[in-house]
Amino acid sequence: MRVLGSAWKVLSARALTPVVIGLFLLLYVGIAFSAEDALMALINLVASSPSLIALFSLIPLNRGALLIRELNDFRARRRLLGDGTGILEPRLFEQTVTIRGAAGGFPAAARRLAGAGYRTRGTGATLRAWKGVTAFPARALFLAATALFFCGILLSLGGRVSARGNVIEGVALPALEGSPAGGVVRRIALEPSGGSLLAKTLSIEVAPGDDGEPARSFGLYPPSRYHGSFVYPRYLGIGLRYRLFAPDLPGGAEDRLVLSIYPPGKEDGREVEGTPYRLVFSLAQPADGSDPYTTGNFTAQFKLMRGNDLLCAGSAPAGGAFAKDGYWVEIVEVRRVVVTDFISDRGVYLVWLSSLFFVVAALAWLSVRVVSPRREMVFLSQGEGITASLRAEGRGRQTAGLFHELLDALNSADGPHGT
Amino acid sequence: MTSMAVRLMPHLLAWGAMLLLLARGCAGRRGTVAAAAGAGFIGGIVAAPAAARLLGTDASFDTAKIVLGAAFLVYCAVAVAALYGSGRSSAANWGERLTCSAPVAAAGAFFTGVAGGAVCGFRSLSGSVTTVCAAAAAGLLLLPLMLLVERRLPAAFVVSPASLVSGITSLLLFTSSSLLRLDLFSPLTMKVMKFSHDFVHQFFESMLIPDHLFFTARLWGFVGVLFSNAVGFWGALVVWLAPALLVICAVALEPLPAVAHLREGARRRKTIAAAIRAKRQRLAVPLLALAVFSCAVYQSKFPAVEYWDPKPIQVSASPAGEIFIPKKGEVDLEDGKLHKFLFKKGGTEARFFIVMTPAGGLTVVLDACSICKPDGYGQTEGTVICYYCKTLIPLDTVGRPGGCNPVPLPCALKADGVHIDGVTLVNRWVDTVQATARVGGEGK
Repeated sequence: MRVLGSAWKVLSARALTPVVIGLFLLLYVGIAFSAEDALMALINLVASSPSLIALFSLIPLNRGALLIRELNDFRARRRLLGDGTGILEPRLFEQTVTIRGAAGGFPAAARRLAGAGYRTRGTGATLRAWKGVTAFPARALFLAATALFFCGILLSLGGRVSARGNVIEGVALPALEGSPAGGVVRRIALEPSGGSLLAKTLSIEVAPGDDGEPARSFGLYPPSRYHGSFVYPRYLGIGLRYRLFAPDLPGGAEDRLVLSIYPPGKEDGREVEGTPYRLVFSLAQPADGSDPYTTGNFTAQFKLMRGNDLLCAGSAPAGGAFAKDGYWVEIVEVRRVVVTDFISDRGVYLVWLSSLFFVVAALAWLSVRVVSPRREMVFLSQGEGITASLRAEGRGRQTAGLFHELLDALNSADGPHGT
Repeated sequence: MTSMAVRLMPHLLAWGAMLLLLARGCAGRRGTVAAAAGAGFIGGIVAAPAAARLLGTDASFDTAKIVLGAAFLVYCAVAVAALYGSGRSSAANWGERLTCSAPVAAAGAFFTGVAGGAVCGFRSLSGSVTTVCAAAAAGLLLLPLMLLVERRLPAAFVVSPASLVSGITSLLLFTSSSLLRLDLFSPLTMKVMKFSHDFVHQFFESMLIPDHLFFTARLWGFVGVLFSNAVGFWGALVVWLAPALLVICAVALEPLPAVAHLREGARRRKTIAAAIRAKRQRLAVPLLALAVFSCAVYQSKFPAVEYWDPKPIQVSASPAGEIFIPKKGEVDLEDGKLHKFLFKKGGTEARFFIVMTPAGGLTVVLDACSICKPDGYGQTEGTVICYYCKTLIPLDTVGRPGGCNPVPLPCALKADGVHIDGVTLVNRWVDTVQATARVGGEGK
């Protein structure tokens, strides 16, 4: 029982979370001096180490325990202030003082407090007074938010599964091995948006597939889900099919490529398989300044290389061809591609929820603190004198002034000697 | 000799200030503290040149830097503990007891002496044995002098345990920041910049936030700040000054004493006023430490050293896109000096340099690294320095990728000279400098 008590004390200590975060910070500093990609190295290290996971999980546990502890204190104070059945414990208040020798009721103090806007309750031997709105709900929400946030990180560390695939216009969605094929991508649309955050919107329209999924459209944010995974568009690319003929390659060569050549001007090259040639592609910027990915009017620029020698360079629209010095490059077709991550991660929900909680908690705390912070006083007449307690969530100096004034009045009315 | 004496003067003054703080912070153990600090100082000033000879300059400087870094981390922990324990009498007493216990006071003073002495030792590396002996003697002479000064200081000059650590660490880092190889602030800017970049990237990926391609320019302008080079400096400044600010907050946030038990208003007001006055006096040392930390930043940003930094020579490419630089042309590539070149294509100006490494081979690299603003590099004895972050790169590692090393450039080294592909040069410049650091290619 004693061990359990000690464990609870440690688990619900305010210092535990800062200490654990400090330890991870130290670990990061240590890694940063030896590894280039320190953050990723730390994430991988934590994800693969049960002891570090256990250490990290102390954070949400601590926040949960702290929430329970503070909730108990809150309820104890409510009982004390409400019906007076609770016990006056000094740890629940900021200041507790006993005036020895003083005794009696508190009618004058109650009038003074009511005049200062306090609500009062009491019997002959007690006086309970309070004013304002407590910020405890905001505090509870904050603690819950931190617990959820770190739980989310824990879940992400342990359970995030990511698979990258190319979503190509006119081709079925990538499916996991053994799974039925997904629907065919009918259209990929990149359009300007008038939003204040996103300048462009992307929609991937998919036809019904063999996997039973209905026709649907995947957007940018918040990410849609497909077979339980988030669809996370990463980069825009271009699917390109070409044919190449050269004087020493009369039979020609043909290939389909997914190239990272968006936006226009960006280059990406590939060896032409089975030949000494290399093709370097880029997208031409239309003269009217339009975005070729949006309009679908693609003109591919290319450089044909043999080793370090540039053999020819030119451009051709989708379906067109270019010929020079016996070289023939035909751009058979160009399709839009979205390089997409399919991510399974339950932690994301918790982090989103915690973000919402953080915002609500911050707004609630700020408004309560500014408008009318909670102030509580309890006066208890006991055998040895009067015990008085004070707690203020804001405007502490002002409240303390009133408290001292009341104590002075009680002292002069009833006799000597504070302790 | 005179110039060396002038160079050692700030270090000795800082050492004197450390002695003053030690004597006042451990007032009950002045003798122990003075003896330990003096012994440490002599040990440090002798050990630094000895280590440089035995382990090599790089290893000894690296070791000293790690020790200073560890001291800063300990200081951070002390600052957090001070803030956490602010207003809890038990925590304060615990700190007081620990600081005033003989072993801890002696160990702390000895470490301070070793570190202060080592910095003086490293500073006088290029000096003679006489210089080192003179510096050691001056350091020892400061001991009785500072003890005497400390006795004359007003009682109001209070040094709490956290303030003592704050003051000593600030002076140590100030004195070390005047030596490029012991400066911690510049590497800190690099680490902060990298952390910010990695964190934002990781945050975007974790929260499935779309790529910047889809953002409005306005939003990306805000987010982009976190990828910018300024975040390195300002972030490092926050980290650098945070412990000093935490100690200040710890003092400032100490709750005023409970006066509810006092039944006279005048006594209550006097008690409160005395507590506020004492609090202000306790703020003096942490505030001075903050100022010293700021001076260290200035010293780190504007070091008094000169470098070989030739004006870039403009080069052009052949119709096939090849840049050729002869070994013995306008400049002699094999003369051991760094030679800078500029290649313009379209709107891009790519700078690179060629230098002969100690191994005897030519190496071709961009005049920029993949993480800093492309301020370029200068050359000094055995090293090149990144002008932006002041990191010293040993010449024998130039040509290797990673960190703040200049980005290597593929090239063909032939008997007649160096052949570089122009497209590769421009692409690498754009990819590694403009795309990663998000800054213009104008450089210096």
